[in-house]
Amino acid sequence: MTDRRQQTDDGLSEAEAIERAKQGDAEAFQALYDRHKRRVYSLCLRMTANTAEAEDLAQEAFLQLFRKIGTFRGESAFSTWLHRLSVNVVLMHLRKKSLPVVSLEETTQNTEEDSPKKDFGAEDLSLAGSIDRLQLQKAVESLPPGYRTIFVLHDVEGYEHNEIAGIVGCSIGNSKSQLHKARMKLRDILRIKRAEKAGKS
Amino acid sequence: MNCVELHQSLAEVEDSSSAEQQAHLAGCPACSTLVADLNLIISTAAQLREVDEPSPRVWNSIAIALRQERLIRPPGESRSLVASFGSRWGRARWMVPAAAALLILVGIYANQHSLSTRLTRDTYPLPVPAANVAVADAGMNDAELLQEVADRTPFMKMQYEDNLRRVNDYILDAQSTVDANPNDAEARRSLMDAYQQKAMLFEMAMDRSLP
Repeated sequence: MTDRRQQTDDGLSEAEAIERAKQGDAEAFQALYDRHKRRVYSLCLRMTANTAEAEDLAQEAFLQLFRKIGTFRGESAFSTWLHRLSVNVVLMHLRKKSLPVVSLEETTQNTEEDSPKKDFGAEDLSLAGSIDRLQLQKAVESLPPGYRTIFVLHDVEGYEHNEIAGIVGCSIGNSKSQLHKARMKLRDILRIKRAEKAGKS
Repeated sequence: MNCVELHQSLAEVEDSSSAEQQAHLAGCPACSTLVADLNLIISTAAQLREVDEPSPRVWNSIAIALRQERLIRPPGESRSLVASFGSRWGRARWMVPAAAALLILVGIYANQHSLSTRLTRDTYPLPVPAANVAVADAGMNDAELLQEVADRTPFMKMQYEDNLRRVNDYILDAQSTVDANPNDAEARRSLMDAYQQKAMLFEMAMDRSLP
């Protein structure tokens, strides 16, 4: 990955920072943290929808990474390694809380819930051009944990379905089905919010 | 392909690019709207990737853990902190550990007496920020510490200014939470943690500034 050659805020390349961190250099650890903190924390926050939990999990992910940094040989991109580790930390946390990392609804059969909605069917309630990042962020927070996990991994973090299947332990078909249902739920949530807002004004 | 079939197919062919899907979408405004909405959600989702900034608490806790686990190696492993300041730090030699210890004591005091502090603050004005006063009592405040850092290692000054500002904000936040919820054990633990982080920051600042 090309980002290994990019410089940190301290002027270190990522590869230099990694090597110096292996030697116990405090500034190198902080440079690596500064470089990746937003991505890791945002991932944790999206998947837990809880600020305190997200901070604890981001801290745990970085600590696990730094404890193992001596074993990093550069075969894979550092960021890939860190983000996969972060995902595992979050999923482990969700499992400990007995929250489903995949929706318990395993079926790929469509239910009535999945059929096209007629209640907000008026074309003027299309979302086009009317959602921003904050609206979507709040809607994602209100998703059931199982749907939220798949949506964040695929649409936010960019994992492919075969990777998600391996990470969370489900079939590829299930990952696709859950993702589609998550998007449909998000659309419903956003349209309801929009309808409520239109009703007030 | 009808509307239900199109809907079912979207889980498999997400970009609605198949000929059957396209044929249906060409004549169905409702499904076209659905697909446009889903595409909007997908494109906006990428903006959620790295938008949030963790609080300073996260790095401070990581740094403390790394030092406790000896993953961060201070320069001069065998030197004791107090001895290493030696004559090079002159007046600051005894002040830093004293200030750090006092900060921890202030944290313990704040933790244990937050309720009585709240009850009496109408008659006895609170020291604000308490951490600065505590360190000043020990003979060194933030400004003096930063001046010492600037004298020894000017390039570190800005970093420590920023870190001190953040940890002071953390202390004030934690203090206000305790003031608002004096019986909240978690809030009191956070306040104690904040003071410990500032104490650690003082030690780190001196340690890292050594040549």
